[in-house]
Amino acid sequence: MRGRPNLYTSYESESQLMPTLTKKVALGLFLLVLVLMPFDLPVIDQIPFIRFLGDNVWLRLVNRTLTFAIAALGLNILMGLAGQISIGHTFFGGVGAYTAVLVGGKSSANLWGWGLPMWIWLPAAGVVAALVGVAVAPAAVRVRGLYLGIVTLGLVFIGLHLSRVFPEIAGPGGLGRKWPRLELRLWKEESPLVNFSRDGHWFWFDINKNQKTYLLLLAIVILMAWAAANLARSRTGRALQAIRDRDIAAEIMGVPEYRYKTTAFAISSFYAGIGGALFASFSGQIPPEQWSLIGAVNFVAALLIGGMGRVSGVLMGSFFVITSHRFVEEIVDWMKHQAEEGGLFSGIFDFFISTGQGDGGFVSVSETALGYPLPVSALDDIIFGLLIIFFLLFEPLGLYGIWVKVRNYWKGWPFSY
Amino acid sequence: MATTLNAAPSSAAAYQVSTLPTQMLGHAVTMPDQVVMREKDFGVWREFTAAEVWDLVLDAAHGLLALGIEVGDRVSIQSENRPEWMILDFATVAVRCITVGFYPTNPAAEVEYLLTDCGSVVHLAEDQEQVDRVLGIDQAAISNVRKVLYCEPRGVRGYDDERLMGWDEFLAMGRDHRAAETGAVEALMSEARWDDGMTLVYTSGTTGPPKGAMLTHRNVAYSMSLFRHPAIRKGFMPSSEDEILCYLPLCHVAERIFSTFHVAEMGLTVNFAESIDTVQANLREVQPTLFFAVPRIWEKLHAGVMIKANDSSPFKKAWLAVGMRLAAIVGREKVANGGLHTTKSRILTAIGRPLVFRALLERIGLRRCIWAGTGAAPIAPEILEFFTGIGVPVYELYGMTENSAIATVNVPGRMKLGTVGEPFGGLELPDSHFRIDDETGEIQVKHPGVFAGYWNKPEQTVETLTEDGWLKTGDVGEWVDGTHVRIVDRIKHIIITSGGKNISPSEIENSLKTSPYVKEAMVIGDRRKFLTALVGIELDTVGDWALRQGIPYTTYRDLGEKSEVLELIQGVVNETNKKFASVETIKKFRMIPKELDHEDGELTATQKIKRNSMEDMFSELIEEMY
Repeated sequence: MRGRPNLYTSYESESQLMPTLTKKVALGLFLLVLVLMPFDLPVIDQIPFIRFLGDNVWLRLVNRTLTFAIAALGLNILMGLAGQISIGHTFFGGVGAYTAVLVGGKSSANLWGWGLPMWIWLPAAGVVAALVGVAVAPAAVRVRGLYLGIVTLGLVFIGLHLSRVFPEIAGPGGLGRKWPRLELRLWKEESPLVNFSRDGHWFWFDINKNQKTYLLLLAIVILMAWAAANLARSRTGRALQAIRDRDIAAEIMGVPEYRYKTTAFAISSFYAGIGGALFASFSGQIPPEQWSLIGAVNFVAALLIGGMGRVSGVLMGSFFVITSHRFVEEIVDWMKHQAEEGGLFSGIFDFFISTGQGDGGFVSVSETALGYPLPVSALDDIIFGLLIIFFLLFEPLGLYGIWVKVRNYWKGWPFSY
Repeated sequence: MATTLNAAPSSAAAYQVSTLPTQMLGHAVTMPDQVVMREKDFGVWREFTAAEVWDLVLDAAHGLLALGIEVGDRVSIQSENRPEWMILDFATVAVRCITVGFYPTNPAAEVEYLLTDCGSVVHLAEDQEQVDRVLGIDQAAISNVRKVLYCEPRGVRGYDDERLMGWDEFLAMGRDHRAAETGAVEALMSEARWDDGMTLVYTSGTTGPPKGAMLTHRNVAYSMSLFRHPAIRKGFMPSSEDEILCYLPLCHVAERIFSTFHVAEMGLTVNFAESIDTVQANLREVQPTLFFAVPRIWEKLHAGVMIKANDSSPFKKAWLAVGMRLAAIVGREKVANGGLHTTKSRILTAIGRPLVFRALLERIGLRRCIWAGTGAAPIAPEILEFFTGIGVPVYELYGMTENSAIATVNVPGRMKLGTVGEPFGGLELPDSHFRIDDETGEIQVKHPGVFAGYWNKPEQTVETLTEDGWLKTGDVGEWVDGTHVRIVDRIKHIIITSGGKNISPSEIENSLKTSPYVKEAMVIGDRRKFLTALVGIELDTVGDWALRQGIPYTTYRDLGEKSEVLELIQGVVNETNKKFASVETIKKFRMIPKELDHEDGELTATQKIKRNSMEDMFSELIEEMY
């Protein structure tokens, strides 16, 4: 109620996503900044991060983050809301991607493809993945915890095997095939209505393909994040959370466990399918091996680092997982420059960086180096692993948990609780 | 529903006598969408508009008629505060019957006494617990009770007793009756007379069995006219915009006036707290604008702040300490100025409010509070000073059931700590006469709010009134600065030591109870050589203290018997002894080995100590000290 924020006169007001005007305005401004990010605009470009994220090279990484985030949102529904461990999330991403290529891809002598437009292949990717999720669910809902983890792990290998059985869909192993582009067509006509994968001219502005793709993906992410946030406060969402907190208690309270777990698998797989299809299409061509265990672990890492159960946490986690490698590379690069130029801190950075034979330091600038000194790619794997350990030990609620702590500090003012 | 309203005289003014139901009808007509009640139901506050409430009142009133109730019959209610309580109250008064409230904690034996004493015809028992109390009584003993209504069907459904009837069933019956005999209730309402009894309020009975004091429409109207008088409000008038939290027992005159009479008078919003234990949480949600509490609640709010402050992180603790210092200075300034701001306190508040006070008040739930009161028991001045300091001036007032709570009041600008304020007459308010008897020091009042008498107890009524119609309150008071009144004690409690000295035990007990560690204290010494005391600790605060000191304990009794705790309480006793003359000092004390309870007969329903039964119960402890 106005002026009495804790006085709820209906369940609607209690479970509002944006209860206050401040929150609405803040979210509105944030979205506006996100939309304007890729363009060279005076004020927006002064904001930290936004300054360089809008640049073309980084923008591709941001686009990858967005496709990743869609699938991660799905895993969050399964793991964060329903509490069902899954390390087979890439399998459903793969199902989505291959549905997309089968429905939307071009056929040739040894490849299948129906060449249908995006408005068919994208939903189809989600729906087929969801159906596969439902099909898998009976096996999965019977087991809990670690055992469920193993069952889902099995899916990844089944997926890899299937890709070899059907090269007509997946393309030759190690190579893959071309995915349909992000183009909006009514049917199979020659020139698309909107082409997201070519540079072009919109209204009065020049716009390149990355910027176009970014806007398309951003719109889809916003839509799906909004749906996920709303799902969490719906009847289904409450049922899933009841199952997560104690499945037996939930069932005794009248929550049909089997049905809701199946629902969770279906919705989660739908998200994965959409994310997988968009990722593949945006990448252009990817080999079947892409849908591997490492990818699935990355999804779990995104949830752990970002904060399980929260949409904003998932988005933060996705951003972190996809871009952290790049940040580490940038930092190492910057340190190298500093060390070479010789300045105030060159001694310190020189201690870390090894520029070649005989130079001390434990990070090699050479991309191809193996062993010690560490190549940059190994360094960021190590940092990544350490971070997961750090979050599990000290901040189980992830980045979102840190935000909650900061918020509660001020909410409790002038007390501590 | 609109047709029903039109069938009735269209405004409250059409009725000769303004009673609670005519006032509620007035709100239903003039502001039908005004929210007058809120009840927390499954986690959200369900709202009742004035029109909805009136509709329910009419249903209930017709329900009573359908049960064959007659003018002057008694309807009793034993329930926690909830909309049904008030609705049945209004309905009862509408059909010219008399509402009798029981405490939800009244044990079965007392319920039997009360039901037979008032001769209740219809009884509302909230839930299974209360229904069991009534059904446990021999039916022949309470043959006057025709129907027992219940609000919560859980556990009662399977009961087989033709007296039982669910609240919904009762309302449905009322609706049928209403359709058949439209206007019957309104006709009865218009027949109401000023001197009709409208409620029996049972006194707590520290000495004898409870007595039912009868209040009339005239008493209530007079009482409300004074509480609405501009002279005691200074600058603001309560209106329909205001919010109230209803949590003290509605059968007590204080909450009855504060909630039921206020909502009838101005149509404000009454928020029913979930229970007395959730008051602090509910306060935070509701943020009432008017708040009345007994000292125990103020002490709890104060102790809550202190405990939480202790648990804060170092930075917050330091920050709070600064705020508390500011509050102390502001409190002293304002108290010295009769409760109003001085330039100094204004400046300090301007600093303290954004720093600490506003957040603190928000956490307590009093951020929007513009008037706060305390009464029904003595309160420590330190606590009033604290709340005044952070921006909620708490006005102490004094009254009792028998005078419709009209005796003395502290008003903004003339507040005096340690007193219960000035007689209403001294504030140039009409018809209110007040005196302190020269001989006995007893406070006596005479005004239209003085009750009609005790139900079925003519001798005791005569005893309470002087020949010329003054009400003998039984409280000893004294003048402070010629204008304000300080309450010394109940006449009956005054101790005369074997040395012949008159001592007021309450003053000493209250001084002991200002310590957050002491919950109960009873001073003993009548016809004895020296004073002793029984002390009961406050489990929350002493438990917290013990935890910090690393003292392990198991039960209340175990904690009370720890030598460290005895030392702690000895310290409190020593503090108190310093304030009093040597004959008034406590030479020895013993810990009460259990938490006192209404059910066990040590306390009255209002948590006052029953001295006689305490002396019997703990006679061994007492004799040990002499």
